[in-house]
Amino acid sequence: MNLWITAFVYGLSMSGVLFLVSVGISIGFGLMRIVNMEQMVYYTFGAYMAYTIVTATGSFFLGIVAAITVAAALGVIVETQLLRRVYEREMMFTMVVTFSVFLIGIGIIQYIWGLDPKPIASPMETMIQVARVKVPLYRLLIFGAAILIYAGIQLLLNRTIMGKAIRAGIENPNNVKGLGINIYKIFTIMFVIASGIAGLGGALYAPLIMVGPYMGWDMLLFAFITVILGGLGSIKGTMVSALILGQVMALGGTLWAPLAFIAPFMVMFLVILVKPTGLFGVRGVAFGFQS
Amino acid sequence: MNSKIKTVLGPLVLVALLTISRYLFPYKMTFITEIAIYALFVMGNNILYGYLGMVSFGQPFYLSIGAWTSAIFLAYLGHNPIAALLLGVVAGVIVGLVLGPSFIRLRGDYFALINAALCAIGVFVFEKLLMGVTRGEDGLWFRTEMSRVRLLDIRLPQNFFFFVMIIFFIVLALYSHMNNSVLGSSFKAMKVNERKMRFLGFDTFRIRWIGFILASALSSLSGSLYALNFGFVNPSLGENHRAADVLVATLLGGSGTVYGPFFGSLAFLGIKDLVSRWITRWELVVGIITLIVMFRFSKGIWGGIHSLSGRILKRNGKPTVQDGRRQI
Repeated sequence: MNLWITAFVYGLSMSGVLFLVSVGISIGFGLMRIVNMEQMVYYTFGAYMAYTIVTATGSFFLGIVAAITVAAALGVIVETQLLRRVYEREMMFTMVVTFSVFLIGIGIIQYIWGLDPKPIASPMETMIQVARVKVPLYRLLIFGAAILIYAGIQLLLNRTIMGKAIRAGIENPNNVKGLGINIYKIFTIMFVIASGIAGLGGALYAPLIMVGPYMGWDMLLFAFITVILGGLGSIKGTMVSALILGQVMALGGTLWAPLAFIAPFMVMFLVILVKPTGLFGVRGVAFGFQS
Repeated sequence: MNSKIKTVLGPLVLVALLTISRYLFPYKMTFITEIAIYALFVMGNNILYGYLGMVSFGQPFYLSIGAWTSAIFLAYLGHNPIAALLLGVVAGVIVGLVLGPSFIRLRGDYFALINAALCAIGVFVFEKLLMGVTRGEDGLWFRTEMSRVRLLDIRLPQNFFFFVMIIFFIVLALYSHMNNSVLGSSFKAMKVNERKMRFLGFDTFRIRWIGFILASALSSLSGSLYALNFGFVNPSLGENHRAADVLVATLLGGSGTVYGPFFGSLAFLGIKDLVSRWITRWELVVGIITLIVMFRFSKGIWGGIHSLSGRILKRNGKPTVQDGRRQI
């Protein structure tokens, strides 16, 4: 029983990371109608920045700030220099372009930090008591951060005038353009927010794993599973599916170790084949699906 | 009649050139073999990407199906490499037949991602689930199990080279025939406007399915040849990372053309060979090349050669059919 509680907490932290990392992909799908695979570059850069700053100064908070800043800055560069040229193109084109940006990011990381995985000292060792089991507080904090970000995004979308424009853009971008709103400016702002969040996800997840250039690869697939299970363009769906997938990975892994890696793929397989719109799909017919 | 000769002549010239270069550069023989094998793999992806317009991030899975079928057959069941090769291709066709109906309903990103998931599951199955058979990460060695076949003892690299060349010629001729046939035209038409195809009364589902099976069969043929070439297979063959390589090679050569895959594989493996002397990992180079090709050079190498030669030929006559097709 104790084992399962530990696994549950582990799953919560995993859900937090999955949510932070896949917000950008969800927004990209819903608002900009692109498949932005290069989100994982910001995630990896965030983790590496956390590593560099933590080893240099010892302060994890500074590491997180640096991770968000660098990831957001990269987001600005990529969005304004490259993605602007591909918004109107077909999905296949954007997919290959963002994928190659992802590869370039991996290459740059290898140049700067080398190939070998880097460890980060855990920022806090505090354990807290949950139902007679001691669990690390840090994992719960990751989940708390994800919840905060989720609440923030919901506030932005539902309570501000910009959020209204964004939601309208998800419904129909051409109408929004017709109303005289500069939708490309909104794209840039949302993209920067998303890449910053991905960087935060990388920095928060870094102490739990080894930071390596290829850490984005597996996370890329997991993030896409999260987005597709949740339904394209739905932030709420992304949160719910992150919760489900985190538990699938944690509890499945407790049951039989290899399941931690493979169970999400099986979920993805089933979801795409059985219900491609996902749990909270915005539209009746999902992107790219044709009966 | 003229087009039939052309169908065979092009592949014949290409294979002849490869054979000549094998004697010009004797040290590069295994490299040329590898290019031909990889070209088959790229040709499979080209059917999906270039003709049908479907991106797949899981082509290595189909490659590993062929490779593992041949490897397991040679290591445990039989000794005949030709039978292993045929079995590998049959396995690829079966995979295409079984997975096709559920996969090809998906378009765009979904098709790409379900293949990526399939790839991850495939690596897991071969590495963990079937560990007793495939020996996990160590890989399966079977070079000593291969027996001599009549006419051509393909265990020797120089004979294997000719064996690959023969297969490459046959496949390329068939590919070129497909390109000029109704099937090839309907593939291309599907990429441009599927709804119109359906309106005209074509069974688009079946066309797509045939394309999927062809792609899967070509990939597994390439995988089988790869296994025979190295005498050893391990799970890293089917890893997701390799999906990027084949996509880049397809783009580089010129997607949707007959000879594009060959030039793509030549250029890609050549660049890889050159770059890896200075850099151990070359994702950076691959990514930059893809971006350049996507934005500035979308026809690829073969497309570039073709339009250049077309421009020269146009002076003394009518434009080629190919030019007309490109303007769609």
